[in-house]
Amino acid sequence: MISLQRSVSSAFTIAEMEARKIRHDSTELWMRTVQPALWLLIFGEVFNTLRGLAPGGFSYIQYIAPGVLAQSVLFVAIFYGINIVWERDVGLLTKLLSTPSSRTSVVVGKALAAGVRGIFMGVTLFALALIIGVNLRFDPLDVAGVFLVVVLFAMCFSCLSMTLASFLKTRDRMMGIGQVITMPLFFASNAIYPLSLMPVWLQYVSKYNPLSYVVDAMRSMLLTGDYSGLPVDILVLLASTAFFVFCGSTLMKRLIE
Amino acid sequence: MTVAQLQARGAELPENGTPFAVQVSGLTKVYPNGPRAVDSISFDVKEGEIFGLLGPNGAGKTTTIKMITTLSPPTSGSIRVFGIDVTSSPQRVREMLGFVPQAISVDGDLTGYENLLIFAKLFSVDREKRKERINEALDLFGLADRANDLVKHYSGGMMRRLEIAQALVNRPRLLFLDEPSIGLDPYSRMQVISHIRQLNRDFGTTILITTHDMAEADELCDRLAIMNLGKIAVSGAPRELKRAVGGDVLTVTISGKVPDSIPADLGSLVSSEQGTVKILTVDGEKAIPHITNYFEQNGVVVESVSLSRPTLDDVFMKYAKAPLRQEGSFREARSARRTISRHGR
Repeated sequence: MISLQRSVSSAFTIAEMEARKIRHDSTELWMRTVQPALWLLIFGEVFNTLRGLAPGGFSYIQYIAPGVLAQSVLFVAIFYGINIVWERDVGLLTKLLSTPSSRTSVVVGKALAAGVRGIFMGVTLFALALIIGVNLRFDPLDVAGVFLVVVLFAMCFSCLSMTLASFLKTRDRMMGIGQVITMPLFFASNAIYPLSLMPVWLQYVSKYNPLSYVVDAMRSMLLTGDYSGLPVDILVLLASTAFFVFCGSTLMKRLIE
Repeated sequence: MTVAQLQARGAELPENGTPFAVQVSGLTKVYPNGPRAVDSISFDVKEGEIFGLLGPNGAGKTTTIKMITTLSPPTSGSIRVFGIDVTSSPQRVREMLGFVPQAISVDGDLTGYENLLIFAKLFSVDREKRKERINEALDLFGLADRANDLVKHYSGGMMRRLEIAQALVNRPRLLFLDEPSIGLDPYSRMQVISHIRQLNRDFGTTILITTHDMAEADELCDRLAIMNLGKIAVSGAPRELKRAVGGDVLTVTISGKVPDSIPADLGSLVSSEQGTVKILTVDGEKAIPHITNYFEQNGVVVESVSLSRPTLDDVFMKYAKAPLRQEGSFREARSARRTISRHGR
């Protein structure tokens, strides 16, 4: 019991470390907001003129807002493994792993730290949506739900990234694999177009794409208010997060041996 | 933990009753498809002492430290830290450890204060004691006025001091320092050494240090072990090791007739030419007055006497020189080098 309490507190301390770093210098995160802003402002506005692209009578820009949020969190999370490799290179990881914290709490802490970055992306995107007048359901409970999904999603993919880092071990390779993974995940999901517009084979692929479930969950809370798919979405997300936390904490030692 | 508690755990105690901080026996590490980075070594570190682990690059020092700090599992052999087995309870062992790795491991994107705070939290230092200890540590290590600056703006020496200050906040019973003075200027190095001594003296922290700097090891360590090619070549107190390497050499400048021989109880004559006589003795300092007397009684005027003692460098060279020329060892040395590139040092 004490050890569980301790693990949780270690994980939050590691996340606190990240929050403090963002407070000192958030330049990188601000630059990361440029891309999603472009998706909304340019891609969204241009395709907004086409009618009938988005189902359910929503405008296209409304439709892709949750998708763009999910994508921006995905980008932050999938490159998180680079941080781990960097921390290994400068000796910080060795130092963290020589503290009494368990391996799992270090990985969960790092994943939560990616969640903190995800929240930053969420806040800036919501602000942008408000400014340019994208009509979303800004119900407090829904917004809280979206942030919960953002944190879980960031945890899930940062753990995937940390798992990959324990095999690839260098920053260059992590840059490469990040590029390889993100675009297929993004295009094989319902982020910027509905599943019904995809060719049949791609629809099957997107069924196994966690990003689809995340976008679906966000869309149901921000747009439709139809929560029927939500339990499955959350369950898939929880299961994949648990799986990748397990992989990350078992394989972490490969990085320092 | 008291001695009685340790005994109850079955930990062995040395004859003077001080518990062992570290007991390593038959420790071996073989990397997959690699060499035996550490080859069946055994040594003890007593509580309260400063113990040095010396050796050339690739000797297995860092691998040994990684195994004791639970970062790398041993292939075989056992390690106990204050009587607790490292393999079966790694987390309990880590609670008692402080570790300053070779690479500077403070976080440059946090302030000095925050670095100490985060690690104090990870070591579960009580909330009430935290702030007081951090400020005390920053004060003592001369970092108080830079406490709220980002660490990336610190000098190398300041970063090292911050890392050692960590130990003052967390108060580990056993502190590992892997090449603590590498890359520091002489002044910073001196500061770091005096802080290490301070921790050992004032807080009774047992310290295990690896270094290449023989002068530093000689100055700092109560006992040391020299590793080479994964084995411990020799261990003991610096004094004993130096004595074992050979005696002191006295160089005497004289005017007058150069002697052909001297009595055996004064030492043995190494060379004698052009007014300079070299004499090998066991204890040079004590031999000086006797030799001066002897010469003066024999009508020789002694102008100067200088004493040179074997240094730890001589000990190191004797036991740890990479034996490239010995048969079959070239491959070993090369594989040791590969280990370095593959696993870092």
